[in-house]
Parts: sequence; structure tokens; C-alpha cells
Amino acid sequence: MAARRPTVIGVLPFPVLVMIAPSLLLAAFVILYPLWEILRLSVHEISRFGLVRGFVGWDNFTAVLADPSFRASLWRTLVWTGAVVGGTLVVSVPTAVILNMDFAGRGLARAVVMLPWSVSLSMASIVWLWSFNADYGLINTLLQSLGLIARGVPWMARPETAFPIEIAIGVIVSIPFTTTILLGGLSSIPGDIYEAARIDGAGPWLQFRALTLPLLRSFINIAVVLNIIHVFNSFPIIWIMTQGGPDDGTHILITYLYDLAFRLGKPGPAAAISLIMLAILFVFTFLYLRLQPKDAN
Amino acid sequence: MTRFKRITHLAAAAALSLASMAAAARADTVRITVSFYSAATGPYFEKMAAAFTAANPGHEVKIEVVNWPSLLQKLQTDIAGNANPDISIIGTRWLLDFVRDDLVEPLDGHMSADFRNRFIGTFLKPAEIKGKVYGLPIAASARALYYNKAMLTAAGMPDGPKTWDDVAAAAEKIKAAGGNGFGLMAKGTEVDVYWYYALWTHGGQVISPDGKAAFNTPAGVKSLAMYKSFLDRGLTQPGPTDYTREDLQNQFKQGRLGMVITAPFLINQINKEVPTLQYGIAPVPTGTNAATYAVTDSVVMFKNSKVKDTAWKFLDFLFSAGPRIEFTKSEGFLPTTKAEAADPYFTGNERLQTFVNLLPNAQFAPTITGWEDTAKAVTNALQSVYLGTATPEAALKKAEDIANQALGK
Repeated sequence: MAARRPTVIGVLPFPVLVMIAPSLLLAAFVILYPLWEILRLSVHEISRFGLVRGFVGWDNFTAVLADPSFRASLWRTLVWTGAVVGGTLVVSVPTAVILNMDFAGRGLARAVVMLPWSVSLSMASIVWLWSFNADYGLINTLLQSLGLIARGVPWMARPETAFPIEIAIGVIVSIPFTTTILLGGLSSIPGDIYEAARIDGAGPWLQFRALTLPLLRSFINIAVVLNIIHVFNSFPIIWIMTQGGPDDGTHILITYLYDLAFRLGKPGPAAAISLIMLAILFVFTFLYLRLQPKDAN
Repeated sequence: MTRFKRITHLAAAAALSLASMAAAARADTVRITVSFYSAATGPYFEKMAAAFTAANPGHEVKIEVVNWPSLLQKLQTDIAGNANPDISIIGTRWLLDFVRDDLVEPLDGHMSADFRNRFIGTFLKPAEIKGKVYGLPIAASARALYYNKAMLTAAGMPDGPKTWDDVAAAAEKIKAAGGNGFGLMAKGTEVDVYWYYALWTHGGQVISPDGKAAFNTPAGVKSLAMYKSFLDRGLTQPGPTDYTREDLQNQFKQGRLGMVITAPFLINQINKEVPTLQYGIAPVPTGTNAATYAVTDSVVMFKNSKVKDTAWKFLDFLFSAGPRIEFTKSEGFLPTTKAEAADPYFTGNERLQTFVNLLPNAQFAPTITGWEDTAKAVTNALQSVYLGTATPEAALKKAEDIANQALGK
């Protein structure tokens, strides 16, 4: 008899099915019920308070797609996600490598890097907003005392300054999580291969490029995918600092969606955006994992 | 037979009295959501709830205090989850949405002529939709110009500016002395309103009587160009799109800002935080005419409440003279009932009287669907002009189109 790969139904023994059924059902409910609700909202005209006014088919989607603010927010979301995830990685990989080395005070350094994780994102955003306050913010005071600027700069007044600052804060708050994943990856690399490489005359840079990076790749992939999902949907930083303004100039999709649903009272179009976001994220993640070269061995 | 009859009578009477006792002892819990106006709001309502319970043993009032910016969203999710309170404070301009979805109760049936007569007529009007009153004005305010006495005296206007030209002239002098002249806000709530002061005093309108967007007119362009020129000439603080109303009020309290248009409650804040600040209050500067913005917040009762009679009893208590005067005093609002207006605290308060005197020229936000969309479209237009990415003409045209679409015109 040729060995058949077991398919889920039929081949799994009955007791196993019974045992996983409750959690399967719970997961299905938790995931499918909201999804069903959002689908329902997206094809109806819904009042601010959730009253269904009528079926509208694709109208919410066409209205959203025709909205220039939506398209601008979509583009900005891609920039936001790319910049925050990319920036996080660029900072986190060296940080993790350094924290993995043996040096005095390593425990303290690790704690310091992890510390921002314990502060809620909303609180961190509020503190940063104060720091960038035009009149008495820490940043302006610092720059003034260094003689770099003569008068307080209203950082949040223009999207050109506000958005990059928000990206930078996004990077800062993503570092602890990413570094943790990478540290886990580094600790799984055996030390003797570095020794062998050193004997063969490889310098630190070559060791990093030829050994650390390739061996770390699957961990980097996890970090990238999880960060993409998280950053793409990240609401507090932008909402607290600029509420998507001025002139809708710092909206990403999630803040724009919130603005539509709760400020303007339009749950229908907001649900449509939410589904579009789900689709984008799905494609994003799928493509990213697909484009990764398969493991050599 | 008679004996039996008597017994049944007795039993019936006993049952009746038991029933009435039960009714009297039925403990209703009235849930009310109030907005956080100041640190005094929560304690005030707790105090009123305790007084109400003392006068009506068994009944209870539960207070929930919610920040103003999240109040509508909170109610929205409460209602969707069928967990809304019995009564709530709302912005009167939101009322129409509540009425359209049949969520709130018309109050005319509860109101006696005597109760209705407690109010100053102007303030009951904004919460009236199709002849029915849906909300009671719990908070009212109007807007006037606060000016820093020292700065304006140095600029030669010890009594404050009268016209927009005066504002510009005074701001020039304040700027020369190294201060910020006229505060211009363009972040957070009421960005649109801050421009309506200029629009209205130039003879413009936000919405025409037939419900169309009416701000894209020569008066609109002129008033917006005026604000933009203030900004370009350095007569305002730099970067208005980084300043909320609270930011400007803080600058004013610190004596770093010459003039700012805002609500009467700043008086209380100044009394408490910087009692030494020398300042005056003048009407909103005039262009071709005088105008100001008046706004009320209303208490509404939800249709699905199971304790309407007790809830109304509590409202009746809240709107009696004692509680009203205490509330309006501590929050720094304007009187909405006649008893408050007659109280010596208000009649003798010159600063508050400046606001009261503006009411004949006051504009209220209209109760129309699409007001929030209009507010947002106008806000975006103003921000784009202040940022220099659009001209007043182009920005107002764009906002007009968006607003008309939302207004269904």
C-alpha cells in the first residue's frame, strides 16, 4: 500500500477530531463572525448608529475607490509600512548582533532595549507629541540650546515633517519586538562555525554576511511578516499625533477608516476599506513568503 | 356571603397596598453619560445624584463621564451594542442623526408649560426638530475675543480691538515687540468655526436657507484671504496647523499671545490657574457686521430607556434653579434658564455679560445631515490654505463641492 498523505477529514482519527473541534469552532466563530459582519456592513447603507438603511451592492466600494483621500491614504500606507518595517530591520539586526555578544553590562543593555515594549503605544505617542510640541517641547528646547534653530519649529504643523516623525516613532516602538525575535534566532546559531570561519581567515563583516545573515533569514522573515501585519494596521501613533491631518496629509488607511466610521458616521464605506485592507495584507504576506528563495538544503 | 365579600375586599385592599408599596419601593437605576467639561464635572454630577437619591429613596443615578472628543464614538458603540444609557449629554448638532434613527424621545410629553418656561427661549430652539423638542440645553456658550491687557495697551488699544483692521494693527505692534499677535488654530475640533467668525463678520454664511453650502462667496474668499495674510505677515503664531484651541488658550494663559477667540469657560480656567493675568474680553472683531458663534449641548433621553419617568424626574431636578446655577458657575458656561440669568453671579459679572450681549447676533450650528462632512471639508480647505498648498478660491470651491454632495444638493 502506497503511503498516503493524510487529509484532514477522513484520515484523522475520530477522537482527534472531537478533541480539536471545540477550539476549531471557537476560532471559527471569533474569526468568521466579525468578518461576516464587516461583509454585511460593506454592502449596505448603514446609519451612524448601525441601522441598516438598505442594500447598496458595490456602491460603498466604488465610492471609496473614487475618493482621492482614500487613494492618497493607500499610497501613504505603503510608504508607512515599508519605511517602518525596513527601518526597524535596519536598526534591529545590528542591535541584536551586538546584544548577542559577550560584554560587561549586556543584561542591562538588553533590558534598556526591551524597556520601550512595556510602555503602551498610546502613552508613547502622547509623550512624543509633547516632546515635539512647538512651544515647550523637549526637541525644540534641545535644538535651541544647541543653537541649531532660533525659534521653536511647529513639527506637527506640516505633513512633510509630521509624517517622517511618525515613521521614526513607529520604528522606535517596533525595535524591542523585532530584536527579541532576532536574538532568539542568534542564540540558535552554534558558536563553533564562527570559530571555523575565523580559522579560515574570515573577518567580522564576512562572518556576518556569509554566516549570520543566511542563518538568521527565517527569523528575519517571521519578523518582517509579523511587523508588516502589525504596522499596516497600526492606529495609535498617527491618530494621537496628527489625527491624519493637516488636510488629510498624514492619514493611513486605518486612521482614514476610523475617521469615516466615527467622525463622519459612515460605517458602510469604512467596512469596505477594512475589507480592501484585509485583501492587501493577504496578498502582501503571501507574495513576500513566496518570493523568498527556498532553503538550500 | 357578606363575610366572604369582606374578606375578599380586605384581601384586595391588602394586595393593592402591597402593590403600591412595591411601586414606591421599586428601585430604578438611571444611567447618565456626561461629557468631561472640567475636573469639576464628575464631582458635580455625583453630588446631584446623591441629592436626588436622598430626595427619592430607592432610586439611584449612575454617572459615566466621557471625554468630549470620544463621546460620540462612545455613544455610537453603546447604541450598536444596545448598552446605551438612559440619558446622555450630546452636542446639539449631532441630534438629527439620533432623531433620524428614532433613538431619542421627544420630550414635549414630559414638559409642563411651567418647565418649558424655565428656559431662555433661544437655547431651547436648536434642539427642536420638526416642532418637537428632543434635548434640553445643559450647556451653552458663545465666543468672544480675549486680549492680553498689557500687550494691547502697548499697542494703543487698551479696550481691545473693535475691527479686524484693529486686530491686524495691534498684531503688527505685538509682533514688533516679539510676541504672538492673533492666535490662529487649525488642529483638532472647531477649526472650521474659527474661520466662521471671520466669514460671518464679513457678511458670509456657511449654509444657505435652502440647505446648500454657501461659504464659497466673495465674503468667504475675502475672510480666508485675510486669515492667510495674517499668517503670511507673521501676525499669528507660526504653524497654526499644529495648534488646537487648548494650545492657544495655554499660550494666552502664559501671556505669550495677544488675542484669541474662544468660549467663556476660559475665564474660570484663568481664575484658577493664572489669577494674576491681566486680560479683557471684547466682542468678536467686526468686518462689515457683528457676529459670533453660539453652541449648546443637550441632554437627550433614549427611547429604549426602561426608567423614563425616573430619568425625567432627575432631569427636572437638574434643571431646577439651585443645580443649574451651581453647574453653570463651576463650568463657566452661559445661563440657559431664566433663574440662572437673574442670579447676581451672572448679572454682576461683566466678563460673562460680554458674552451674553453677543447672543442677539449669534449663529448656531444648523441641525442638518451632512454638517460633520461640511465641517471636515471646510477644515481641510482651511488647512490647505494655511499650508500654502491651495489658494482660498480653489480650496473653498473644492470644499463646496464635497459639502454639497454630503448635504444632498
